Amino acid sequence: MSEPILEVSGLTACYGMISALKGIGFYVNDNEIVGIVGPNGAGKTTLLESIAGSMHIKEGQINFLGHQIERWPVLKRRQLGLMLVPQEGNIFPLMSVKKNLEVSVILSNRAKKEELIDRVYKLFPVLWEKRRQIANTLSGGQQKMLAVGIGIASNAKIMLIDEPSIGLAPKLVTKLFETLKKIKEDTGKTIVLSEQNIKVLNIADRLFGLEAGEIRFDEKTENLSRDVVKDLYLGSIS
Amino acid sequence: MILNGIITGLIMGGILSLPVLGVAVIYGITGIPNFAIGVIGVFGGFLTWYFLSFNMGIAILVGVVFCFAIGYIIQRILLTPISERGGDSTLFFIITVSLGFVFEGLMRAIFPRPSISLALPRIGTINIAGVTVEGFKIFALLFALGTLVIIRLLEEHTEIGKSWQATSQNLKLAKLIGIKTNRVFSIASGIGCALACVGAIFWGSLYNLNLMTGWDLGFLGFIIAVVGGIGNIWGGIISALIMGMVMSFSGYLLGGMWQSVILYFIVILVLIVAPKGILGSERSL
Repeated sequence: MSEPILEVSGLTACYGMISALKGIGFYVNDNEIVGIVGPNGAGKTTLLESIAGSMHIKEGQINFLGHQIERWPVLKRRQLGLMLVPQEGNIFPLMSVKKNLEVSVILSNRAKKEELIDRVYKLFPVLWEKRRQIANTLSGGQQKMLAVGIGIASNAKIMLIDEPSIGLAPKLVTKLFETLKKIKEDTGKTIVLSEQNIKVLNIADRLFGLEAGEIRFDEKTENLSRDVVKDLYLGSIS
Repeated sequence: MILNGIITGLIMGGILSLPVLGVAVIYGITGIPNFAIGVIGVFGGFLTWYFLSFNMGIAILVGVVFCFAIGYIIQRILLTPISERGGDSTLFFIITVSLGFVFEGLMRAIFPRPSISLALPRIGTINIAGVTVEGFKIFALLFALGTLVIIRLLEEHTEIGKSWQATSQNLKLAKLIGIKTNRVFSIASGIGCALACVGAIFWGSLYNLNLMTGWDLGFLGFIIAVVGGIGNIWGGIISALIMGMVMSFSGYLLGGMWQSVILYFIVILVLIVAPKGILGSERSL
């Protein structure tokens, strides 16, 4: 049984007077894929941004690899091994694909840099074919692959990915999810992804449901039925 | 006369392109318009003048390094924190113009003369198709173009250059992947002010520097950068060379008093036709 590498407790975050997260607590084990599901406005993005440090929290603790990081700036959390792939604005639009990846390995040493970029090209061969193309001229699906590729290139211990399937054709969603599973298996990375797509059940080890800023369930995927999850992401779990 | 006008215009545009580059680098990377850049550059020019009798190389170095340090520090302790708290363009206009007045006041208080000319060594003359041009002026033009090439090379081939680009294109993601964005901003601001200083040194050597030159160079730099497409380095350079020509020819044909009338009339006309400037603003290098 692996140990938790990320533990969140009593996490509260607000937008002005509105509470987006109401005392959330959960943990993530080493080398697992955890899915956060829930309807729009449930607080999924706020939760991931709070963990990554790009959203200020009101109260609560975040423990990552034995460090209390809830007051740390983004950069320090990144250096410790956390990386968020945001839902939007997740590429450098006017840079080539190659340069997007080159800049994403900034924290790695020279030898590791090439290895990481090669890994991304192997996982997404289309990015190798389009490596000289300017990022914002790629198709929506390719841009999403590049965004995940940036996350992989960052070589973070834990990758937080915000709704990677949004706007993707069903076939591409399946392919992207298979790739995430492969990353976990091949590299021992941990992945936390927020999702509204039912296919997350195929890759996640555990799933927890978020609604109106509160956790409604936290279960191993094998114990969950598709219908329960479908009800959740349609917004009617209670 | 036409050739003479072209050469004079190119040289004037070349020198002007240094503060324009400064504006483009600072705005392109930080997204903050720093209206004090010209005055800070001229302050550096005055410092160079002050130490010139001591040693020319050291004097230039003192001016340029001082401006780099000032640009770095004001970005670090003033502009970046304000930007992080959501400061808007109006606030930055007021703060940076105030900073400009601070440096203008300091120049008045510190230096013994309000108007100076920098006596840098001349390089002789060069004959271009029958027109005699001072070698130093050609050097100034080549220096400006060389600076542009160096900045482009830095941007394309070095890690710091890629960090600049990444920070200017997507600040949030740049932070997330681990770029020290505050340091990138400070270095960009330092380089911008250092470029303005080099521009001021050339200007002070070919013409003269007084307490108002900083505002002239700074605002002209901004206007030229906007006409080229603010943040767009190529647009800024093309715009600087065109504006240099406009100033040169309007001076020759209509006399010096018409220069600014023609110049700013053209600026307004260009911005009506192309509000984002000649090559478009991309807020990126």
